Amino acid sequence: MRYLLRKLGFYLVALWAALTVNFFVPRLMPGDPVDILLSKLGQRGPVTPEMRASTEALLGTSSGEPLWSQYLEYLRNLAHGDLGVSVTFFPAPVTSIIEQTLPWTIGLIGLATVISFLAGVGLGTVAGWKRGSWLDNLIPVTTMFQSVPYFWLALILLFLFGSVWPLFPLNGGYDVYTVEPGWNLDFLGSVLYYGALPALTIVLSSVGGWMLGMRNMMVSTLAEDYMVTAEAKGLRPGRIMRRYAARNAILPSVSGFAISLGFVVAGSIVTETVFSYPGIGSALLQAVGGNDYALMQGIFLVITLSVLGANLLVDLLYSVIDPRTRARA
Amino acid sequence: MFKLKVAVAAAAALTLAVAGCSGGKSDGGTTRGNAGNSSITIFNGATGTIVENWNPFSPTLLQPTQGLIYETLYWFNFAKESEPTPMLGTAFSWDKDGKVLTITTRDGVKWSDGQPFTAKDVAFTFDLIKRTPAINASGLKLVSSVAKDDKTAVLTFEVPSFTAEAAVIANTPIVAEHVWSKIDDPAKSINPSPVGTGPYKLKTFSAQSYVMEKNPNYWQQGKPQIQNVRYVALATADAATAALTAGQVDWMSAFLPGLEQLLKNQKNLTYVNTPAMTTSVFTCAGAELGCKGPQTDPAVRQAIYYALNRDQLNKLAGGGFAETASPTLLLPERDKKWIADPASATTPGAPDVAKANQILDAAGWVKGSDGIRAKGGEKLSMTIQTVTGWSDYISLNDAMKQELKEAGIEIKPTQLSWNEWNNNQVQGKFQLSLDSIGLGASTNPYFTYLKYTTVTTAKVGEAAQNSGNYARYKNPKVDAAVAAATATNDEAAQKAQYAIVQQEIVRDLPYIPIYVNSMLTEFSTANAVGWPSNENKYALPASWKSWDNGVVLSNLQPAK
Repeated sequence: MRYLLRKLGFYLVALWAALTVNFFVPRLMPGDPVDILLSKLGQRGPVTPEMRASTEALLGTSSGEPLWSQYLEYLRNLAHGDLGVSVTFFPAPVTSIIEQTLPWTIGLIGLATVISFLAGVGLGTVAGWKRGSWLDNLIPVTTMFQSVPYFWLALILLFLFGSVWPLFPLNGGYDVYTVEPGWNLDFLGSVLYYGALPALTIVLSSVGGWMLGMRNMMVSTLAEDYMVTAEAKGLRPGRIMRRYAARNAILPSVSGFAISLGFVVAGSIVTETVFSYPGIGSALLQAVGGNDYALMQGIFLVITLSVLGANLLVDLLYSVIDPRTRARA
Repeated sequence: MFKLKVAVAAAAALTLAVAGCSGGKSDGGTTRGNAGNSSITIFNGATGTIVENWNPFSPTLLQPTQGLIYETLYWFNFAKESEPTPMLGTAFSWDKDGKVLTITTRDGVKWSDGQPFTAKDVAFTFDLIKRTPAINASGLKLVSSVAKDDKTAVLTFEVPSFTAEAAVIANTPIVAEHVWSKIDDPAKSINPSPVGTGPYKLKTFSAQSYVMEKNPNYWQQGKPQIQNVRYVALATADAATAALTAGQVDWMSAFLPGLEQLLKNQKNLTYVNTPAMTTSVFTCAGAELGCKGPQTDPAVRQAIYYALNRDQLNKLAGGGFAETASPTLLLPERDKKWIADPASATTPGAPDVAKANQILDAAGWVKGSDGIRAKGGEKLSMTIQTVTGWSDYISLNDAMKQELKEAGIEIKPTQLSWNEWNNNQVQGKFQLSLDSIGLGASTNPYFTYLKYTTVTTAKVGEAAQNSGNYARYKNPKVDAAVAAATATNDEAAQKAQYAIVQQEIVRDLPYIPIYVNSMLTEFSTANAVGWPSNENKYALPASWKSWDNGVVLSNLQPAK
């Protein structure tokens, strides 16, 4: 119990620190939201000095307020679950933008991460079990995919499977021309079809890591004494591989997996830009482009919470799956 | 494959309409051919998630709000020299002081909900603006706005407001009194089911795409002929290009390097080029207001002006699509009547390095051993900023660097994020910056020459007005002339004042014109024909241009 409280206390401090950084960093960027909004309008039509006044009146951005009082206001609003109003998407509240975009990101990147993890661990297990087999020789190939820059890989795949051989759509989250969003088969099918290629790029570029880690862990586990005992007992090889070797070898991968789940939201920006995917990464990019403090803070908050939450999950999970960590507590 | 999809989609839409799901009456067959199910797709630069906002007064509105749903009293064509086109207004006149504007409105116009449009709606719109500072974006100083009868609206201003004419007649969306009198906060409402007079009305909306459908009550007989218009969001120019060549987009505006190559094998794709914005080297010119660097010396700016090889720059960076600019910063063709001295109508195409050298020699800039000039220990070296990812501007900077070396001038290109670049200009924290002169409310030179007045500037370190005098240029003669021009409605008197302005700025060159940058718009004729062309620029065809969009869409016919 003391162990748990100490952990939770640490997480609360980390959360506060993250929220504070979250507040100050965007404000260190050059320009202010009203300026940027007006300059963007100014490129497409006339902007009068009065427009500045009217925009400020509209957004309620009195830049005269000192930072510390803005900060207190920010913490107070956070406590009420009020993330403010977005400037880029004015007058939409930040919560509604997050609500609209987050499911897409979690759906695409989250699923791809899970698929990649399961495939990597499964293949790694077999590769470690059958060292020197053809599967084992697949590892350098997958790690190569991991080491090429992701955006480059994604663009190449998009070019090949979108333009040269048009198997997959070029962009978007679903076929906007023919289906209506809603819980119907047409829409869900379209979402799966549109998500396939981006998901494939994520799996391709990340499966190598899981596979390599799992394989090496398998190899070192196989050298343990209890493996010899298990074989001496005459257990079936499949059972040894799964119940004795893989169960112990997977421990480091599980913690890695939970942490990478935490980075699902943060890691979505490049994918969503390449595939014009309507997720939270695209929204963050637009927020940064418009110095939209409220929206940036809102999205960073989601990222912070997901990373911290994932770490907390690892901590708690680890004490369940690995008895050795409980020994001291 | 794709065409089939559209047909299926449109057919589905039609069956819905017939089944009465769409709420609107389907068209009574006044149009020809397959207008009933014609549909086109537009990309207007929207990226990422689309948030619903049909409020025509909001700075973050969805662009089709202006032109497709709401209309103005008059419409200006920026693509060529022309008189304003009457839309909801049919006549207007000022009193001699410029304080009272009388507007006659069009008969027989209906709102999309079937209610008649009258001058009362016009009077109400301007009264709403007067009562709500947050939507008074053009800063109209109104005293009152009343309807004398169903056809006449009278606006009264506190001060002579000739210069507000364009904003009033061509940039203010006219809204319906019976709808907007019930809206509590006109600045913050997103106006979810908009009622307008324009050719289209909202059909369906989702965060990735929305569809507008023909307004059957539209006042122009037989228009529009395209039944549905779909808008899509794409993340990048690459995505847009791919969508265009795949036939998923019918209309978009983007500078695509190698456009000719791209469209060569595409029989349905054409493009139109409507240069309207002058790409210029913005200089921080006003030493008095705190600018620092060699560019504060007018001789340096003149030398840059003469040393540039504009023909080469157009080939290297402009894709050959740019047109000749004018040192008066107006457009040589369109604004011919406003350019006083024919000698300064256009910039030279070829460089005149000898002249540049002569100007710098006379001003005391001496060449050093490295070929770069210096004066009083200061090297003739300046940084020039542009935005990361603006590939044409980046090549422009690189090419200019080579050309200016000939005259012993060194420029150092830097690339910044859009925010930082913009902030530097607004604050005056730059030496040279590459930017273009944007569009005004009308083609009257007033909107361009405001950039030269101290009204729109501030000291270095303080924010100048957006799109204002970033150069920190200070010239009492220019200030006086622009002020005098605003006090009259008489074109001849305005010309005389602008002639004074031109004399000053052609010599001082706080903005050094390079060329009028291309504005490329790509069309597909697969689903619709009647687009503006290089021969017939009946509107500014850019897919992001408010008001003009409605005019273009009204002029399209379904492809046979």
